[in-house]
Amino acid sequence: MKKRNRYKILVFVLGLILLISACGKKPASNISTELLPLEDNPLVCIKFILNVGSADDPAGKEGLSALTFRMLSEGGSEEYTYKEISQIFYPIAAYLDMQIDKEMTVFSGIIHKDNLEKYYSIIKNMLLNPGFREEDFIRIKTDHLNFLQKTLVNNMDEQFGKEILNLMMYSEHPYGHNELGTVKSVKSLTLDDVKNYYENHFVQGNLTIGIAGGYPAEFSKKVLSDFSALPPGKTPERTLPEQQMPEGLHIVIADKNTPATAISMGFPISITKSHPDFFALWIAASHFGEHRQHLSHLFQKIREERGQNYGDYAYIEHFIEGRGKFPATNYCRQQQYFSIWIRPLSNSNRHFVLRQAIRELKILIEEGIPEERFELTKKYLINYTKLYTQTLDERLGWQVDSRYYGYKDFLEEARERIPKIKIEEVNAAIKKYLNYKNLYIAIITQDAGSFKEDLVANTPSPITYSNPNMPEDILREDLIIQEFPLDIKPENITTVKAEDFFKEAGVPSEDSMRAS
Amino acid sequence: MVKNICTASIVLAFLSFPLVLWSSDVFPYDTRIEKLENGLTVVSVPLKNPHIISYYTIVRSGSRNEIEPGKSGFAHFFEHMMFKGTKNIPREKYDDFLTELGAGTNGYTSDDYTCYFVVFAGRENLEKVVKTEADRFINLYYNEEMLKTEAPVIEGEYYSSVSNPGRRLYETLRHEAFEKHSYKHTTLGYLEDIQDMPNQFEYSKLYKKRFYAPDNSIILVVGDYDHEQLIEYIKKYYGVWEPSNYELITPVEPPQEKAKRSHYKWPGQTMPRIAVAFHGPAFSDEKIDKAALDLLAEIGFSRSSPLYQRLVIEEQKCLSIYADFPDRRDPPLLTFNAVVKQEEDLPYVEQEIFTELEYYKNEPIPEDKLEEVKSNMKYSLARQLGTTDGTAGVLAFYVNLTTDPNSINRLFDLYQKTTPQNIQEMAQKYFTKKNSTVVTLSGGEEQ
Repeated sequence: MKKRNRYKILVFVLGLILLISACGKKPASNISTELLPLEDNPLVCIKFILNVGSADDPAGKEGLSALTFRMLSEGGSEEYTYKEISQIFYPIAAYLDMQIDKEMTVFSGIIHKDNLEKYYSIIKNMLLNPGFREEDFIRIKTDHLNFLQKTLVNNMDEQFGKEILNLMMYSEHPYGHNELGTVKSVKSLTLDDVKNYYENHFVQGNLTIGIAGGYPAEFSKKVLSDFSALPPGKTPERTLPEQQMPEGLHIVIADKNTPATAISMGFPISITKSHPDFFALWIAASHFGEHRQHLSHLFQKIREERGQNYGDYAYIEHFIEGRGKFPATNYCRQQQYFSIWIRPLSNSNRHFVLRQAIRELKILIEEGIPEERFELTKKYLINYTKLYTQTLDERLGWQVDSRYYGYKDFLEEARERIPKIKIEEVNAAIKKYLNYKNLYIAIITQDAGSFKEDLVANTPSPITYSNPNMPEDILREDLIIQEFPLDIKPENITTVKAEDFFKEAGVPSEDSMRAS
Repeated sequence: MVKNICTASIVLAFLSFPLVLWSSDVFPYDTRIEKLENGLTVVSVPLKNPHIISYYTIVRSGSRNEIEPGKSGFAHFFEHMMFKGTKNIPREKYDDFLTELGAGTNGYTSDDYTCYFVVFAGRENLEKVVKTEADRFINLYYNEEMLKTEAPVIEGEYYSSVSNPGRRLYETLRHEAFEKHSYKHTTLGYLEDIQDMPNQFEYSKLYKKRFYAPDNSIILVVGDYDHEQLIEYIKKYYGVWEPSNYELITPVEPPQEKAKRSHYKWPGQTMPRIAVAFHGPAFSDEKIDKAALDLLAEIGFSRSSPLYQRLVIEEQKCLSIYADFPDRRDPPLLTFNAVVKQEEDLPYVEQEIFTELEYYKNEPIPEDKLEEVKSNMKYSLARQLGTTDGTAGVLAFYVNLTTDPNSINRLFDLYQKTTPQNIQEMAQKYFTKKNSTVVTLSGGEEQ
């Protein structure tokens, strides 16, 4: 019995050593790995993460990264057409998803371990030996053009607003175009551009392979060995230009026929998750505008107290909603920005709500986080972040993000640091990194010209309520908000016809509005 | 650095829970069902996956229950009112409770039900959650002013998707296809009814009395807790909830006697869209109709289907094609949707959809194709059941339909038994010209 126990311990220790040696190992090749073996789990999640994104698009060829990488995930391999791959994938409920951001692109899939071998044999060839067929190129390129010309401008105003904000913040900057490019640049892309881009960027030094779940021990070695056939190169470290802060309030109004106004505003900030001040600023942002939570102060003031719209939130980094309302992973960036997202509201109340959001930001900066909200917000973040890693994809995703920003485990680090943060540190971070006088503001609305006049003239903007008995304190505050001065110079407001966006790089000029 | 990550990996390895997919039942976990004397159904699925508990309250009332004129969207509106707190725990205190808990929380409203969930970490918090949620459902308090302030939020929610042509197509389709049944309107409701919501204080009280009652509700709990302890808490805190004994009688939709069609002109540019719909069967885990049509939808219109491959991949006429066959308590629409690249191709795509349906009426599906679909469905379900909250989300849907979590196993048994002949018969029964409604949408010129 004793012998058997000793044997068990020995096996366990050996297993442990093997596991430790497998985790986070930098292999002989230039490929990095993130491994998360979970023996009993019936699923396996695989991610191929490239430190390449739309910021690497050559000038004039904006959208090339997205088109190239979608040709891998939806364009077939040398061995199989995309149609054949769809038919092989279907019975095993398999996909190869692709997400692209400014500096990171991820191919990922989740598969039942019964089907791992079959699935991997297909995706390996999709990524290592892409088919690059002309018909797939035309199909995907047409999809991207349709999205830029029709869908983004006409069918998704909330996203449209966020994209305009991006154009404003990152003018003359590698982040300053939509990931899909511009209509002009996408039209100019050729299949040879795609092939060359793939050859130069899908290389070992740019690649991290992540595997999580119930995969066999030898699987990770096989994947690493297969992908070591890639060229060993690496895209040189990206040196981004300094971010440009606006001077004063800069507004772009996209004019279209719509009953509702969408607003996004913000400015670049100098820190990311890797900076020690991030945690204090995170507490402030969570209190001020936690994504789709009642905790959000903006949500309370604009929606709960006044019923103006569906929600109002604030962020201290680029935010994409993942499963549920949790942040999606693997959108890592060297440079980040602060933003406020005002969801669509009646055109008649647009001026009032814009004033209210900026005034609330001013109050936050001048008065700091209220003491009674401070401890509550800290508890919230400590507990809420425990829900971030429920799926294999999330666990692996956070592991990758932790590495990117220089942590062993970012969420654990946060839960360790947040309890120790003092309110003075939060308020100091607010004052250091946030401001309300220098903002980029993107607005989608109708009658842009008359709104511009109201903004420049600081026209009072009273609102009415269907509730005849609104609380006195709210009505008193409304009197202040409706007169709250926004110092906007006429030359800092650009009005543009909505359909003129994304044709070329940057914010279009006002010429089209004058012509109409 | 390596050491710490590996420690985390080892811990996670022990924390993961087994999923035995290929047992006789596709739903691999033990489910326990209890019914309180007041009619409240409790569905409990204790899991070994640590920390996380998903606590769902399912009220079997959705837009299906909006049978009176002018009340479309009311179930969804009432979902919003359910966050207004009670005299014991006013809204601010309720919000603070959830904030401190760090819970993932929200509600959603569907055609047939409204679901409220609190997902949180730590079994030590279970009693507080049961107590707070019970108080909210039994003692909800709001006055007319609070209702009038909340009502415009719904209009804001309507505006959030006002630029989405897919939603407009969907609204038009349901309005055209249904004559009497409350599935005629969407969950969000007609804009004119939304704008009248500030005046519906009295009706809101009636609505609560009728539907927010234990005999119309289910508590579904999945995760890391002790079952006996859960039941003890639920009996303690929900025992005083009074049943309503209200019986909803939804209008019966008369058989459609002739084909319908409609076109919506979208202001501004957009990709053209088409929806071809048929009145179909209600959900059943006993009758073959809906199960057979679910399989047909997959065979005929999924990404691997011949029609998708031809129109999307080869001819490149469409951006996407998909079927929407929702499971509903009353007969819903079975809809085939396509997003088309050029407006002039709309008639061609419509013709191709009808031709495809004719094919399935005339030819039995090959056995091997049918087996592929069954395999896809099982593996797709396995992915959804990979987490505590994923499991709760799947179960919430099925218990809303029948109150019985075993419905999911019975449904998959039905899929297993379905033959090519069953599918052919159902195609012949439902996909008739006179039972069809076609709605198209296309954009205008640049403004």
